[in-house]
Amino acid sequence: MSWREAVRLSGVGFSELSVQAIWALRQGNLVPPGPAGTLAARARRRVVQSKGIISGVLALLALGAAFALRSSGVASSAFTGGAPSGVFDAGVLTGLFGLDLAFLWWTGMQVLPTFLSSGVLTLLETLPIDDRTLARTSGLLYLRLFDLPSLTILVATPVFVGLALGPWAGIAVVPGAVTVVGVALALSLLTGRFFVRRVQGARGGGTIVRWAYLTLWLVPAFAMFGFVVAAPAFFALLKGGAASGPSLAGDLLLVAFPFPLAALPATVASGPSSLGLAATGGLLLARAVVGYLALGTAALYWVLGAVRRVGLVPPVVPGPARSVPLVLRPVGAALAVLTKDLRIASRTPGYAFLVLLPILDALVLGLWTYASVTTSTAAAGLGLAAVTTAALLATFFGPAFFAIEVFAYSYGRTLPLSDRSLLVGKVALIVLIYLIASTLVVGLTLARVFAPIVLVGFVAAELPAVGAAAFLELGILFRRARTRGLPITNLYTGAWLAFLVSIPGLLVASLPLVVYQADRLLAGNLRLLAMGLVALAELALSAPYALGREPS
Amino acid sequence: MASDPTPLCVDTLSVAYGERSAVDRLSFTVRPGEIYGLLGSNGAGKTSTIRSIVGLVRPVGGRVRVFGRDCVSEGRRVKELVGYVPEVSLLYDALTPREFLEFVASVRRLDRGVATDRTRSYVSAFRLEQEFESPIVTLSNGTRQKVLLIAALLHQPPLLVLDEPLNGLDPRSVRIMKELLVRYVGGGERGVLFSTHTMEVAERLCHRVGILDRGILRGEGDLAALREQVRAGDASLEEIFLRLTEEREGVRAAVDALEGPG
Repeated sequence: MSWREAVRLSGVGFSELSVQAIWALRQGNLVPPGPAGTLAARARRRVVQSKGIISGVLALLALGAAFALRSSGVASSAFTGGAPSGVFDAGVLTGLFGLDLAFLWWTGMQVLPTFLSSGVLTLLETLPIDDRTLARTSGLLYLRLFDLPSLTILVATPVFVGLALGPWAGIAVVPGAVTVVGVALALSLLTGRFFVRRVQGARGGGTIVRWAYLTLWLVPAFAMFGFVVAAPAFFALLKGGAASGPSLAGDLLLVAFPFPLAALPATVASGPSSLGLAATGGLLLARAVVGYLALGTAALYWVLGAVRRVGLVPPVVPGPARSVPLVLRPVGAALAVLTKDLRIASRTPGYAFLVLLPILDALVLGLWTYASVTTSTAAAGLGLAAVTTAALLATFFGPAFFAIEVFAYSYGRTLPLSDRSLLVGKVALIVLIYLIASTLVVGLTLARVFAPIVLVGFVAAELPAVGAAAFLELGILFRRARTRGLPITNLYTGAWLAFLVSIPGLLVASLPLVVYQADRLLAGNLRLLAMGLVALAELALSAPYALGREPS
Repeated sequence: MASDPTPLCVDTLSVAYGERSAVDRLSFTVRPGEIYGLLGSNGAGKTSTIRSIVGLVRPVGGRVRVFGRDCVSEGRRVKELVGYVPEVSLLYDALTPREFLEFVASVRRLDRGVATDRTRSYVSAFRLEQEFESPIVTLSNGTRQKVLLIAALLHQPPLLVLDEPLNGLDPRSVRIMKELLVRYVGGGERGVLFSTHTMEVAERLCHRVGILDRGILRGEGDLAALREQVRAGDASLEEIFLRLTEEREGVRAAVDALEGPG
């Protein structure tokens, strides 16, 4: 059989994958209302919508980088302290490549468990298809998951960079784009395989591996805004390297991924001198570019052939269990929902991310505040900003906790579990995440500036608003679920709805923060009081909305 | 429990998916102390009927009452009275059996001691000790089915609704399950609704059976009553089933057609 047959088969397989991902029928969801004949078409449309959103974000990143490159003269002096324009351009493109890589890998890690557990590859194996076509079909099926986002990186990056730095620079950025896509797809596949083999079925002693994996998963997420935080230091490093001439540290920076790929278009645009490179540095850079391009191409080639092997890899079966006393500890229904969600999150990367990101983000910002800020006013300001971030992150990801109900949906609905218990359990989880994150920030900030009334008061005043936002978001989703079935499965399949529902939630969570910032006429404690009253009013409105219509 | 002692009363139940009718004005009753078997071919409407009882599907007509309580208007109360094993073992794969049963026990508001004692007994009977702390995703179909059976029995419900419950079970567990069901209704108050394709099991286990074909009840009663209905004094349940669903000739024709090309 041929490539043409592989393309055809991968199209059929992708339809099945879309149906499974969107409607989650193998996870116990019921067949949704509407004409059965249009199920596959509706699923494919929803997947394209989600891919479109992710591609839009990637295109915006490239556009943003182009704007930065266009204004390199002004920005360079303001942002980098007068580094050469080539250094600035290389830095911007390094950031863009880093963000592209992180975002694509992050997306892949969300999608891979669904892909591998869909059974599509296993089904293909049972058909009389030769090995080569099977491998090609599996590879193409995997590539289809990333087609629009990858194409966006491969097309938008050269176009926007070309517009900003000239056509030759646009062409010179292509090796970087290809390499980033290849490495991201390979990383997604490798980490997906690790998840299926080592994380999904882990028990007992596997807990450490499990949580290590879940933390590893946060690396690309942090890389996305880590670059923004570290950008000034990064530019200072580049400037220093350019000024001081060849050194081991400079050489290491020169070959660090993905800097050489970013330096190539910068060099093409502004000439070799713009980076302050000596001849040996230029040679080193050229070798690194060739090496990384080879790595990216090899990664793409490896992905095409390896998906089949990876897809069929069996999970590591745990050995005989330790003999532990068999005790069940039933709790209240809402607490049981919260516990169940945390347990599922601990074995499901997509949900672990939702729990861990606001907490680790708060920890990082708290440590940053503790370690770097010299004045107490600045420390307090940063602390409050970190609490604000935690509140908004917890609120933004809130709707996704609803998606956990997709698991074993039909079985769960046969239990005498009220919607109220379900809602309260999930709202409690979101509030808990906010509280843990805020406690970390406040604890670290208090060590620098002892202003407990302001800091603790701020956390407490925002608390009802986080609850109100969670009630509102989940209330909307529950009402929709009752009438139209469960809408969200993961980022890739229901992103648009999660984003839409997050908007009113974010507005509700933000309003008290705006009141605190805007009401400059009041003294500090009165501002906190005003903030808390607004938050309580929001809670008083949104909780009855969510809990009000309890079906029998 | 409600004042009506009848475990299950299905009254002119109709279920449809869009234009397609799955169950058409179906009526039957599970009496106290009875194991009632629901028999039918694939797509006969067994699972749709059962899903209406446990609240997964909203009927388009008729009523279903569990101990006198309406399955639609008193859905949550009915769910407290029912233990359910679905046809396909779709569970929370990321949880272990212990975590899953703890969740079920919590939702069903069981006391810690009661939940633990019952779980110990069932885990021991089904030899589930080794898998009790492993994520459900790693378990075989039969083991998952055992977990579902334990979850259905955990609160000792007065009505058990079992959709193909013996699928994937090993012979020992099948035997335990059969004995358990007989004892379960022995007190004379509880009821069991049991759907199956396996005629031998239904013949030995069920006090009465209802034969469902394309959403319509073709026959109902104990073996003697069904034999009388088809006027065949020594017919097996399989024979009765094929006659009532008018598939006996169809089976012969199908086999003949298959032999032809060979």
